[in-house]
Amino acid sequence: MEKIKNTLKKWWRLFALFHQGAFLDRRMAVVRKEAFDINDNLMLLLFGDFIGIPNPMSYYMLELLPLMADELVPWERRIQNRKFILAEKAAQYDFDT
Amino acid sequence: MKRFTFFGGKGGTGKTSCAASCSLSMAARGVRTLVVSTDPAHSLSDAFNTPIGNRMVLLERNLWGLEIDAEAEAKKYTDSIMEKMLHLVSATIVDEIRRQIEIAYMSPGSEEAAVFDKFIELMESAGKDYDAIVFDTAPTGHTLRLLTLPGILGVWIEHLIEKRQKARKLMEVAARYDRELAEQLKEDPVIEALSARRDKFELARKILTDSETTVFHFVLNPEKLSILETDRAVGMLGKYGIPVGGMVVNKVIPKGAGPFLDKKRLSQEKYLCEIRERFASGPVVELPMLEDDVQGMEQLRIISGLMGAVC
Repeated sequence: MEKIKNTLKKWWRLFALFHQGAFLDRRMAVVRKEAFDINDNLMLLLFGDFIGIPNPMSYYMLELLPLMADELVPWERRIQNRKFILAEKAAQYDFDT
Repeated sequence: MKRFTFFGGKGGTGKTSCAASCSLSMAARGVRTLVVSTDPAHSLSDAFNTPIGNRMVLLERNLWGLEIDAEAEAKKYTDSIMEKMLHLVSATIVDEIRRQIEIAYMSPGSEEAAVFDKFIELMESAGKDYDAIVFDTAPTGHTLRLLTLPGILGVWIEHLIEKRQKARKLMEVAARYDRELAEQLKEDPVIEALSARRDKFELARKILTDSETTVFHFVLNPEKLSILETDRAVGMLGKYGIPVGGMVVNKVIPKGAGPFLDKKRLSQEKYLCEIRERFASGPVVELPMLEDDVQGMEQLRIISGLMGAVC
């Protein structure tokens, strides 16, 4: 009896893990990507003059630098490495497979 | 008497003399007064005939003077940020940041922003060391930009806060099954900093549009261009809800000043009528054209006696 219970428990855990990997993580990745996209847009509004877009209040944005310094470098790398935004979006919604 | 009195108008009409005289008469009535110049090309020192700088200087009993130095204020601000950066992030990032700060320091509008910050700081601390402030502003265009800044930037910053909040909300959804991420999301100093900035703009807007505490007087000459520019500025201030007070008509030629000036007087007469018609809502004060430049306490005191209706 005890043995059957343990086996069932093990299979149930594997079953749950499979579904988390197959559906949940994927879905959450979409949400997370969207959040990062919005944040990247925000960074562009805040520090656009960094890459040549004039900003009406770049002076006031300076005080955010100490708070966002850690996000700044990855952001710059991300926007510089963007090659084809359409493909990126398509990949996000599984259109590229 | 209002707590914050502004003097504005076209360049060379006599704003500084009027602001200085007004502050003198306030101080004489026992009000602790600060007279501040926001014009990048300061002339307050010349009017009082005493050196005034970026520090409050006692000019007389109950009267202090200050000339805002935009560059020094901007430097103070960037230095304080650099200070915070140094023990926060790695050396490579600090270099990036230093570059960024230099770009912002050079960019147009940064001096205005620096003056504006000082301006808010002064208005906030009114009631401590001084009770009233008289502002000697820069010529019309610069001042209008300065005063309408809170309205415009307020909207912008609101938009930034919204975006950040949206991104955070999505992250929270994504973090529902990720305890580590949820821990990181507990508080956001960026939203706090942006909100603090927004609140500052809001405070400035509130003070500037409150007719109980603030009044904006114009100084003009009886000339066509001066009247037209003042008219436009009055419209602009009205649009942003900044209360307009009286008109000080400076350099009015007195009677019997010789044949040439008498002729000039006739044309001024016409413009004086126009001023009274156009700006009928507030008091109109006439100041005579003087033989000599207005400089030093004695002469300022004479003028302050004539300005009773506006200050």
